[in-house]
Amino acid sequence: MYKTEVRGPLILGDKNYHQISSDIIAPINQPAPLWWKVAFGISNLALLFGAVAIYQTVAVGIGTWGVNNSVGWAWEIINFVWWIGIGHAGTAFSIFLLVLRQKWRTSINRAAEAMTVVAVMCAAIFPALHMGRVWLAFYIFPYPNTRGPLWVNFNSPLFWDFIAISAYLLISASFWYFGMVPDFATIRDRTTSKVKKAVYGFFAFGWVGTSREWLRFEALSYVLGGIAAVLVVSVHSIVSTDFAVAVIPGWHTTVFPPYFVIGAIFSGFAMVMTLMIIIRKMYKFQDYVTTNHLNAIAKILIFISLIMGTAYATEAFIAWYSGNKYEIFTFFYNRATGDYSYEYWTMIICNALVPQLFWFKKIRRNLTAAFIISIIINIGMWFERYNIIISSLAKDFLPSSWVTYSPTWVEIGVFAGTLGLFGTGVLLFFKFIPMMAISELKGVLKVTSYNTNDKKHISHE
Amino acid sequence: MNKHFVVGVFDEETQLMAAVNETLKQGFQIQEIYSPYPVYEAIEAMGKKTRFTFAAFLFGLFGALGVLAFMYYTAVIDWPLNYGGKPTNAFPSFLVVTIVITILIVTIASLFTFSARAKIYPGKAYVLPDARSTDDKFVMVFDKSANDGEYQRLTQLLKAEGAVEVYEKNIEPEN
Repeated sequence: MYKTEVRGPLILGDKNYHQISSDIIAPINQPAPLWWKVAFGISNLALLFGAVAIYQTVAVGIGTWGVNNSVGWAWEIINFVWWIGIGHAGTAFSIFLLVLRQKWRTSINRAAEAMTVVAVMCAAIFPALHMGRVWLAFYIFPYPNTRGPLWVNFNSPLFWDFIAISAYLLISASFWYFGMVPDFATIRDRTTSKVKKAVYGFFAFGWVGTSREWLRFEALSYVLGGIAAVLVVSVHSIVSTDFAVAVIPGWHTTVFPPYFVIGAIFSGFAMVMTLMIIIRKMYKFQDYVTTNHLNAIAKILIFISLIMGTAYATEAFIAWYSGNKYEIFTFFYNRATGDYSYEYWTMIICNALVPQLFWFKKIRRNLTAAFIISIIINIGMWFERYNIIISSLAKDFLPSSWVTYSPTWVEIGVFAGTLGLFGTGVLLFFKFIPMMAISELKGVLKVTSYNTNDKKHISHE
Repeated sequence: MNKHFVVGVFDEETQLMAAVNETLKQGFQIQEIYSPYPVYEAIEAMGKKTRFTFAAFLFGLFGALGVLAFMYYTAVIDWPLNYGGKPTNAFPSFLVVTIVITILIVTIASLFTFSARAKIYPGKAYVLPDARSTDDKFVMVFDKSANDGEYQRLTQLLKAEGAVEVYEKNIEPEN
């Protein structure tokens, strides 16, 4: 297609179609490796701890948490926003890059979407628990009821948030599932096990890959991709309005929606990088997740990190420029030099400074370094939410209502539980679902890689 | 479906397309093409068209109007609540919910449309002439009766275009 390669071949190692199917399906047919079992055990333990903490929260009440009159939102909302941010990678990767016709997404989109579905499930736990009486959660649905009917407030960002998260979960799960249908058919037609044939055959919905099916499949992908691209922007903008419409110093800023969206994509891409390095290393998928793929993600991370740095600087500048003493206090005395300076500077270092190391090619190409930086980014993003939520609430307008906040074991337990849920979900995905979109990989094989039989570049033109 | 079919199996997309174009030129009717990934030229050559995008637009249009109407009904007609003297028909702030729910409606309706039109649903009795076509082979299927008496010429033609196998088969649903 092109005379020069911009990105290099997307799939290395001279594969043919059959090898691609075999390689990607291999982990499903082999017994789970030892590291998988260990990781699964640890995740399950964390999940169990989470279940105990959730039981405590539901049975006793929100009083088991460290929240108080001033800091009414604490770890729960930090973790909620953090997980939703991680869950952004699915739309950003699979849908945004689909709309932009970026072919390098094919090795990564399936894992990014799986991660999204699990991360959004983790996120949804927190607001539900935060309602206090979780068994009355259905009140948030606008349904005809006997209380008037008293409808929900359609002008409330908290309601928008509920709508945005539920819609996002449904949409990303169905987009993910329908992308897998052709791959399930491939497994069905290749396996020799009767059980697998029946199970994957059921989930393949009778897919056979006729031109009639492919035509509509492609149409469906582009329609969903086109319309769901809006979600990249809308979901986290709506989350940010939960804060931005409040009058709390440090929250009441118009920069919040873009700042949150970019932050979400930042942590999502970082988590994708973490996962892709694990997949590449543990399943030896270096022919599919090439250094070029990771390089591309690293470059995007540098760029987003610069935007994050700009956003932090903008916030501080506007606080000073506004002359509002509460804003100035929050940014310059409370966060940068006061009680929350550790958290503030952790955020700045992890998000704005450390990712700049990716400017060096050696670090970009060093998987261990990239892995560590991707984890550091997610730690930094957690501290960003900590800063926004805790520092603003703990010290707002009246010094008489200033408090300190620290989490109880129950809050830590719920967070650990969601980490366990994420680990469990992702590990089950590794074991039972093709980690990359097999049919899409086949589609880009001849367009973007060299064939040894004739060293010429085969193109569709 | 208990008829005789001619099945041509190809290794490469380019060979498949050459065969598709040549057989169509010589007046054969292709019953169906099976491929492991979407081959746009093959879809085009089969003359398949879809109005999927138009359907999605309609879902979006009616979805958006429906959501707005519902919010107007609840907030203005059924139970108007006074939020600090603001207008009950808060159109600008209704837009957020409208956009998100419209996307949800389009997604779900599109999935059902896809399921209905492409005939992909749980428990479907599928017909797969050659099981390798979901893995690495490109398969063309011809109805023998529709291309009557030309079987020999068709076989030769497919082989000449690079088919690795050409065989006859009775195709019936597998389950």
